[in-house]
Amino acid sequence: MADGVSRLFDEYAVAWRRGERPDARAYMERAGSGRAELAELIDAFLSRALVPAPDEETVALVEAWAAGEPPLLALRVRRGLRREAVVEALLAALGLASGKRAKVARYYHELESGLLDPAGVSRSVFEALGETLRARAADLQSWRPRPPEAVAAAFLRAAEPAAAKPAAPAPAQPKEEWDEIDELFRGARPA
Amino acid sequence: MHDARDAEDSRLLDAHDHAKLLATYYPVILERCRVRLRDPDAWEVAHAVVDRLLRELSRGKRYPVPFRVVVHKVIDWKIKEHFAGGSGETLPEEWDAPGPDAYAEFEERFDLGRLFARLPERDGEVMRLRYLDLLEPAEVAALLGISANAVHQALWRGHQALRESAGG
Repeated sequence: MADGVSRLFDEYAVAWRRGERPDARAYMERAGSGRAELAELIDAFLSRALVPAPDEETVALVEAWAAGEPPLLALRVRRGLRREAVVEALLAALGLASGKRAKVARYYHELESGLLDPAGVSRSVFEALGETLRARAADLQSWRPRPPEAVAAAFLRAAEPAAAKPAAPAPAQPKEEWDEIDELFRGARPA
Repeated sequence: MHDARDAEDSRLLDAHDHAKLLATYYPVILERCRVRLRDPDAWEVAHAVVDRLLRELSRGKRYPVPFRVVVHKVIDWKIKEHFAGGSGETLPEEWDAPGPDAYAEFEERFDLGRLFARLPERDGEVMRLRYLDLLEPAEVAALLGISANAVHQALWRGHQALRESAGG
């Protein structure tokens, strides 16, 4: 095992044990050709390490997901933010012109409602959302609504009222020119 | 080393506080999936793990091993299922068999403290002080009366043992 892999693992393991939630992917990128070795080491460590108690946000996100509610929507409601406020924050954080507000609002609505695949959404969008919603960008990126069939098959605190319901799909929009907003929310321009 | 966690998990199971129980493990589920898979596969498999656990908990299933062991076994199975392209692999039937000693092997694989105890004494002590007590390498060296280089070498051997144990 390369010395660099050992050092990176040490850094990661100590950060995890301190409850800092390090991102393994960043460490694996730094490992270069030692990526596979480091991945094995981190996986072996994580399957044995102590896990800390969860924070309230993670519990709320799991509750929302289990109940079939969009986690991003549940987190926004929990923060007491209106969707318009989140859209304004996105425009500011991403340096977008106010003329793009409607398009950003439409994409954010789709993302929040689970109508847009988060895989295509830029990391910078999630980082801006993380700042606004006071959550980890990497966690926001991972959440998407639970499939309805899974919700129907399980229950979790079923007697409690839902905190928020997913919004209805946005109406279809006329065809627009592909621009930086599309790239931020859908990735590269389709061929 | 997991006694307090296991006791809290048992309390959450008894209270049917499944959200808090799963939220406890969500970060490690997601992180293990990210280590083994690329996004977005990692997210999908992580949520498949949580969904599987939630369904079982909702049905009132109880496990003969600590819940953390179940979590890690389900992660392993779901990742294996992902690579195999299969679907619906179930927990082995023997998980429901009586006899707590039958599960010692599983527990052995999911406890850092037990792994450290199996290492040569000095290496195990260095690993314990570094990753359980969170001492700096210089502090470990001073406490054990050994050189910084000896600590570094013990950590390297410990890491090697940890990695080799992964297939365990």
